[in-house]
Amino acid sequence: MSRIIAFHSYKGGTGKTLLSINLAAIYAKQRKSVCLFDLDFRAPSLHAAFASDGAECWLNEYLDGTCDIKRVLIDLSHQHGNGGKFYAGLANPATEAIRDMSAKDRKWEMRALGRLLSLRNSLLNDMHLDYLIFDTSPGLQYSSINAIVSADVVLVVTSLDTSDIKGTRRMTHELYDLFEKKTGILLNKVPAEMLTSESQKKGLYRKLNNMHMLPILELIPCFCDILRAGGTQIFVEEQPDHPFTRTLEKIAKKIEDF
Amino acid sequence: MTYKRSEKTPTQILEKIKECLDRLNEKMDVFIEVQRHSPRGNLDESIPDVLDVMTLLSLPDHLRKTAVTLCKLGQATADEVAEQTKRARAVESGYLNQLMLMGYVKKERRGRKAYFYVEKEEKE
Repeated sequence: MSRIIAFHSYKGGTGKTLLSINLAAIYAKQRKSVCLFDLDFRAPSLHAAFASDGAECWLNEYLDGTCDIKRVLIDLSHQHGNGGKFYAGLANPATEAIRDMSAKDRKWEMRALGRLLSLRNSLLNDMHLDYLIFDTSPGLQYSSINAIVSADVVLVVTSLDTSDIKGTRRMTHELYDLFEKKTGILLNKVPAEMLTSESQKKGLYRKLNNMHMLPILELIPCFCDILRAGGTQIFVEEQPDHPFTRTLEKIAKKIEDF
Repeated sequence: MTYKRSEKTPTQILEKIKECLDRLNEKMDVFIEVQRHSPRGNLDESIPDVLDVMTLLSLPDHLRKTAVTLCKLGQATADEVAEQTKRARAVESGYLNQLMLMGYVKKERRGRKAYFYVEKEEKE
C-alpha cells in the first residue's frame, strides 16, 4: 500500500532529516520506489546530501505553480535504488528563496496545500511510487502543517528534553488529533545507558506512552559515529550491519503495519 | 384533556433530545463563524476568506472533516464527499452549504448536480 509519510517535530535538531533520508534509503534497499521531499523551506538541508544539479526546478517553484512536479524530481535510482526508483525533490537553499518563502500570504499557502495534496495522484497513482517522505520544518509552520494535512502517517521525532515533550503533547492535541492523523513517536538520541536492559526499555516505553498517549514506534539510541559522520553519507547504505540501520529497518516495518 | 401515551422509552426520548441539541449546537457554530467572518464582524475587510490550514484548524470538527475532504478531492458533489467521510449525503450537503455561507467554498450547478470547490483549478 502506497503511503505519504511526514517527519515532524516540535523543536529543531531532533534528527528529522537524518531519519527521513535513511528511512527512504531503507525502502529503496527493499526495492520500493520512494521520493523524498525537503519541505523545510526556512532551513533547507537535503541539497547537502543529494546534488541538486539533476533537477530543472526547486520544489519552491512547483508550489508556486510555475513548474511541473516531474521537473523537480532528481532521479537518484542509479546511486541509491535497488531495482525500485529513488527520487528527491529539493528546497531552494538560497537566502533570497528562504526570504521569499517566509513572506507568502494565506492564499499562496492554500494553493500550496492543493499542490501538495495533488502529489498523491501524480506520484503515487500515476507514477506508482510506494512512498513519499516529507522532511518538514519544526513547529507550527505553514509548510509543516500543509505536509501533515497531506500525509497518511506523521512521525514525530522527539527527544527527552522537557520543553520538547511538553510542546509535542500540545501539538498532539492541537494539530495531529484535529486532522485525525495516524501519528507515531520516535524518541531519538536516547543515551545508551538508558537502554542497557529490557526492563529499562519497557519502563521508558511505558513512561512515554503515558506522556504522549500515542504509539511509541521506536527508541533510537544516540550513536556518536553518526554524529561524527556529520551527514556526509547515507548511513544505512554505508553501514548495513550497524544497530542504527537495524533500528531503521524496524521502523520501516512498523510504518507498513501502522 | 387526554394525553396520548408515547411508545418511546425515556432513553429514546433523551437520545432524541441529545440529537436535536447536537444539531442546534452545529447550527450555532456555523452562525458564530458566519458572524465572525461577515464584513461587519471582520475588522480587516480586505482579508478574503481563505481555506488555508490555519482556517482548517479553527473550524469545528465536523466542518473541518468536510473541508479537508473537499481540499483533497479538488471539486466534488456532496455524494462524493460523503463517500470519503462515511457520513450521510444529506449531512455533507448541509456542511458544504455551511462552508459556502462562510465564504470558504464555492458551489456551481452543472445539470442536476451541485459541485463544490475551494478554488477553480488553474490551467497551467
